[in-house]
Amino acid sequence: MLAFQEFQHQMAAHLRDPHHTRRPPGVPKRRMGVYNELLFNNVCGFLDSCFPVSRQLLGDARWRRLCRTFYRDWPSHTPWFREIPRELVRYLSEHHIAQPLPVWLADLARYEWAELAVDVMDVTPPPHDPQGDMMLSSVCLNPARVDVVSPWPVHRIGPDWQPRQAEPTFLVVFRDAQLDVQFAEINAVTAHVLSLLDQGLSGQQAFAQLATDMKHPDPQALQGFGQQLLISLREQGVLLGTRT
Amino acid sequence: MVHTTFNPAGLGFRRELIPALQQAVPPEIGFFEIAPENWAGMGGRSAHTLRAFTERYPFVCHGLSLSLGGPGALDETLLRRTRDFMRTHGITLFTEHLSWCADDSHLYDLLPIPMTEEAVRYTAERIARAQDILGMQIGVENASTYIAPPGAEMTEPEFVRAVVERADCLLHLDVNNIYVNSRNFGFDPHAYLAQLPLERTCYVHVAGHCVEEDGLVIDTHGSDVIDPVWQLLQAAYQRIGRPVPTCLERDFNIPDLPTLVQEVAHIAHLQHQAFGAQAVAQWGAQAHSVNRQVA
Repeated sequence: MLAFQEFQHQMAAHLRDPHHTRRPPGVPKRRMGVYNELLFNNVCGFLDSCFPVSRQLLGDARWRRLCRTFYRDWPSHTPWFREIPRELVRYLSEHHIAQPLPVWLADLARYEWAELAVDVMDVTPPPHDPQGDMMLSSVCLNPARVDVVSPWPVHRIGPDWQPRQAEPTFLVVFRDAQLDVQFAEINAVTAHVLSLLDQGLSGQQAFAQLATDMKHPDPQALQGFGQQLLISLREQGVLLGTRT
Repeated sequence: MVHTTFNPAGLGFRRELIPALQQAVPPEIGFFEIAPENWAGMGGRSAHTLRAFTERYPFVCHGLSLSLGGPGALDETLLRRTRDFMRTHGITLFTEHLSWCADDSHLYDLLPIPMTEEAVRYTAERIARAQDILGMQIGVENASTYIAPPGAEMTEPEFVRAVVERADCLLHLDVNNIYVNSRNFGFDPHAYLAQLPLERTCYVHVAGHCVEEDGLVIDTHGSDVIDPVWQLLQAAYQRIGRPVPTCLERDFNIPDLPTLVQEVAHIAHLQHQAFGAQAVAQWGAQAHSVNRQVA
């Protein structure tokens, strides 16, 4: 370490945890306070705007405390400001957090983040035929998409209602052709079909596999149901057509 | 509608302003500035909107996350993505702060570098590496600071000069930052200005700030530009002696576009006063053609 970097490490440590670390030597309290406030407020600005529901449900004091321990304990390596919220989602799901938090908070935060992530996701749809027969050819999924799978109905959580019991929930957050973000609630079977299609299967192959997985008594009936499902998902914008 | 000439007077491009700018871009605005950290690597509506503007107007990239003087490794991925982003949008100028913002991970704001000989060598080396990756000289900005890191071996203008000369980079001059620091540390901003390597100036910032109850000046970019800062800009133009693109930064308490544009128009007015209409127009036509060729 170079000599001048010792100061930088001391300052960084103090910025992350001003209540439990010493100010760097020679730095007046008032001036250090400016930096403590500027940096933490900057990070909070990105978090507050991405997670309005989580923030409201925790209340300002608990939310701010969460933001503080995130800034203190979670090393964010991304230089992109829009990815700071993704780092909070990772912190909530991967880090041991001492503060008591609702059991569904990590999933709610991921759902709130998905809207931002899908809005700015830098993906272009692969070549596809919107009119192609999705039962016969490999199906093209909308790549501007985040699948939210949660034991909690995160999309219904709000100030007036919070879940007491788990209820397996499958949501697709995606960007439509007009570049608007859309939300679709699907069921476990549809979620399974999407994961099969994501592997490059055609509709027929996916529903044959589904029949096997479900031990379905009438695989042929499943194929008829499947065609309708695929068309409906294409109309919504979750599927784009067939790969070409 | 294509801009054929433009003043080297610009405005920070902010999402809040986009609806008004989509109606019409006031002719006073000669270019826009964006932070690659806020726009690069994005798809969707943001990317479409930005593209519609970069196809018609010159843009400048002003970085925030590079941490030129920071103890962490230089983020070469960020540099390469910034380079690609600039190519995509035909942007030919990149500037960053003479500061640091990360150790092994990001702190997300700009912090002062201890002004030592060792820090000069270290920072200049990283700037040179950044210039290699970007394939161009970059501008490095004198930063606003609230503390003077202990152990300084030189004054701030000496530090700035030593770094830019050693790195062989350009100077991004921020006159508001000089003013803020002069108030917070008690020095003469005009004397400071005179010591900077102004012959290397490629770009200028002007902005407003706020004054706290105890007199401490905070570089908020949230108020109108005050007269002493305009006077510093005039003094800088006199010393530089040629038109340089100058951007108004406004990040908080953003007024409506016509109000903001008055300050951009004032930049253009000072440029005409200092350099004459002909020199300014020549500069604008040349810069515009460079920008269009790249695009």
